[in-house]
Amino acid sequence: MLINGITIDDSFAEAFNMRATRVIVTALNLKWAYHAANAMTGFATSVIGCGVEAGIERELSISETPDGRLGVSVLMFAMGSKVLMQQLETRMGQCILTCPTAAAFAGIASEDQINLGAHLRYFGDGFQTSKLIPDTNGKAKRYWRIPVMDGEFLVQETTGMVRAIGGGNFLILATSQTAALNAAEIAIEAMKKIPNVIMPFPGGVVRSGSKVGSKYPKMFASTNDAFCPTLKGLVQTELSDDIESVMEIVIDGLSFDDIAKAMKVGIEAICALGIKSGVKRISAGNYGGKLGPHHFKLHQILGGVSK
Amino acid sequence: MSALTFTLKPNLAFKLDCRHLTPNSLADLTLTQIKNLSLLNTKSSHKVSDFFEVSGENSQNIIFKNTNNQLDYIGHKMTNGQIIIEGDCGDFLGANMQGGTIVCQGNAGDRLGDQMRRGLILIDGNVGDYCGSRMIAGTIGVLGSIGKYTGYAMKRGTIILKKPAILNKPIGVLTNHSNFHSTIQDCGTHTLPFLALLFQSFQTLPSKFSGLNKQRVQRFAGDLACNGNGEILVIV
Repeated sequence: MLINGITIDDSFAEAFNMRATRVIVTALNLKWAYHAANAMTGFATSVIGCGVEAGIERELSISETPDGRLGVSVLMFAMGSKVLMQQLETRMGQCILTCPTAAAFAGIASEDQINLGAHLRYFGDGFQTSKLIPDTNGKAKRYWRIPVMDGEFLVQETTGMVRAIGGGNFLILATSQTAALNAAEIAIEAMKKIPNVIMPFPGGVVRSGSKVGSKYPKMFASTNDAFCPTLKGLVQTELSDDIESVMEIVIDGLSFDDIAKAMKVGIEAICALGIKSGVKRISAGNYGGKLGPHHFKLHQILGGVSK
Repeated sequence: MSALTFTLKPNLAFKLDCRHLTPNSLADLTLTQIKNLSLLNTKSSHKVSDFFEVSGENSQNIIFKNTNNQLDYIGHKMTNGQIIIEGDCGDFLGANMQGGTIVCQGNAGDRLGDQMRRGLILIDGNVGDYCGSRMIAGTIGVLGSIGKYTGYAMKRGTIILKKPAILNKPIGVLTNHSNFHSTIQDCGTHTLPFLALLFQSFQTLPSKFSGLNKQRVQRFAGDLACNGNGEILVIV
């Protein structure tokens, strides 16, 4: 497939089942909401080393938050419910409880509920109080009020946990590092407008795509040598002579369609730049289709026919 | 379904115990059964229909009309649903309440919410003495004046007041300037975020509270004789 001179490989991204939750973080203003959310989603690029993958989904207006303040929604993904619960509690305690004026609320409905402030309340040392307050549908939700030095920390007792998908991705192959990064940035800006997804790596972009396994027995993953431009002469490379740099965008989402939509928007934003941008090819990372149950075929996503 | 409505007949000569007229007590009863209920829980001949015109069918949404301060124990041990009182009511409104919502659009008597454990009581008018006495938890809101010993022996829960200028008159030995009794302590004036959610939840209720959206309150904690985890919030 060729779009605007850029080749779209007949390949697919291979993704995995995950568990996810959404937390609404509000504060006195957007600056402090971002401080809280940035801390909460820090060191959360990959489940391999961080336990969870997390990111800021979008900003929320005062009409979209439970307490009528400005805020952001945070999505957090993990390989299992136990890890997700552990990471959520830790990050709530160290990043949201500590952040001036911040409050946290459930951001997703589900029968599966996990602790948001249920254990954090003990920080109140007996002075914490709870309040059952009905939502707009009349369903009572429990909130905890924990006395802290700046006033009161308000946190909902639980939030929902849902099944989700992690590891959607595509690769940007370009003639220079600058060209690859510029294209990635443009794609990320477009993809940020899509709800229910996050791109968890720094700036949404990852340069160290990995393959499964390593020559070192203790390593689970190692550099994706087939896409490393400096190894073109040493390994069975996927790169042509004119490719000098490859960037990857990884997407976690609440559903297959959410991820597919984000991939489509991102790739189309890059293709709109044309061949003059230095981008030559769009490909995707997979493990031969044997590990992950979800396959995002690039040609199908972009409206074409895949093998 | 229309609300189950009890309209008090005129010239009630004595106080009436209305504790059986709650959503949970009437849930499985037909209109005829409700009309034939003994209000005083005795074998006397006083039936609901002797005192009230009864209409409607939704026992989860009960309305009292043409009421006065002789109707005691409305909402007693109520666990769910909603009671709207379109007028005044007597003592022990919402006593031992365990859930649901009560709105009184007039005045209420003494011992409002006595030993209530859960739920919401909103009063558009004034209340008598011992408002929220022995309260275990839940929320009470009063827009008008309050009587003596508000929050007496309350363990937890929240009492929200609108009119600081007409708190109770001095009642003997007082140790703080608020005129609450001495085991209710002033914790200062604060902006409490949870009030935004609470007042938002009042917006659909037929009460003057539906128009409130203040988070700035003077917070009194107590009753210190009973752990002091309750609070009286006076909107400033």
